[in-house]
Amino acid sequence: MSVLEESPSDGIGGLYPFLYAGRADMDSALAEANRSTAEKAAEIVRLRRRMAEESGAELAECAEEMALRFTSGGRLFTFGNGGSSTDAQEVATTFLHPSHGRPLPALSLTSDVAVVTALSNDVGFEVVFARQLAALARPGDIAFGLSTSGGSCNVVQAFEEAAHRGMLTVGLAGDQGGRLAELDLLDYLFIVPSSSVHRIQEAQTTVYHVLWELTQHALDSISVPRGHRSG
Amino acid sequence: MSAISTMKPAVSEAFARRDRAGRALADDAERIARACQEMAVLFRLGGKLIVFGNGGGGTDAAHIAVEFMHPVIVGKRALPAVALSNDAATVSGVGNDEGLAEVFAHQVRHWADTSDMALGISRDGRCANVLRGLETAKDQGLFTLALIGGDGGALARSPAVDHVLVAGSDDPAVVKEIHVTIYHLLWELVHVFFDQTGPLSGETPG
Repeated sequence: MSVLEESPSDGIGGLYPFLYAGRADMDSALAEANRSTAEKAAEIVRLRRRMAEESGAELAECAEEMALRFTSGGRLFTFGNGGSSTDAQEVATTFLHPSHGRPLPALSLTSDVAVVTALSNDVGFEVVFARQLAALARPGDIAFGLSTSGGSCNVVQAFEEAAHRGMLTVGLAGDQGGRLAELDLLDYLFIVPSSSVHRIQEAQTTVYHVLWELTQHALDSISVPRGHRSG
Repeated sequence: MSAISTMKPAVSEAFARRDRAGRALADDAERIARACQEMAVLFRLGGKLIVFGNGGGGTDAAHIAVEFMHPVIVGKRALPAVALSNDAATVSGVGNDEGLAEVFAHQVRHWADTSDMALGISRDGRCANVLRGLETAKDQGLFTLALIGGDGGALARSPAVDHVLVAGSDDPAVVKEIHVTIYHLLWELVHVFFDQTGPLSGETPG
């Protein structure tokens, strides 16, 4: 951590003077950066609180529905694009390989690059998740899709396929919810009320972690024998 | 269902558990900014960001790489970044032959240039392969940064790590959530400093 202890004048500007020579005062740039960071930290804390207030009851209900599916042998399929694809993978590994609690069958549809590129190349990017659900999913399974804008066409198509197959459908979106908010077929849609893609992703991370926690909690309370996993 | 009566307090408790660590993030503002100043310079010098982590930390590595490579904010330039944990063939290949502790070190050794930046992610600071990756990076003269949580483990104490950013929670899920905000800030501030740096016209870098 030695670099952290250095004063601004001895830091990187000292190492590479040509990069900062004649440039705006780095101290004021640093002060502005610190102010901006504090503001954003406060913003995401407020946004999480708002999600708790506005969506807490529905999250609990959704987790109970998910727990019921898992106890009946249901599996979880997750999907999203870009940063949301990494969230889809996080959701899948959170359920499948949890830090505590029981492992549950979950698969991210963004992980198989061969399937994703084959479908994109041969058919179209809009079908990459829907086609996988058509091949892998059963009624009673869970479809979990993330989109910060709510407008991703492959996520929308996946939910249409999932609803058609009798899956439980859970969506995460941001801002106004985009096309996902206009779909009539979602069982649950959690919309993060922010116009910042970054803050939306951060709050969505909390939403799916809380959903996982609540699902584990609900499973503990459901008096159905275990061992229905079909993973 | 018997769960119903206890679900409501469970929701409140879960969200409340995020609050303290979320607010504490502001205390790290200076550390975050200093790391970003250095990273901006290294990107200017042609460096690339090399990110790695295990499990959920691997998904963060992928998120960071795509954040820099394809910014969500239109008009922001793409900066080179690669997530080592995405290469399942190499990770499982090296892991099988040399052990999981060597998977990132191997890739750093054969991929990195001296102006690159190594960013390791570990929610408890106890990932041997993340530590080995950062040690190898440091040996090669790279900038090193660790995103960790809990008590920071061996990563927090390693002399191979130039910059340590710790999410203030023992809950790995909460640590991840703080990490997401931290790396969004890293991306944003790197661009702020990147726009402020660069050789003046007519000057040649020494």
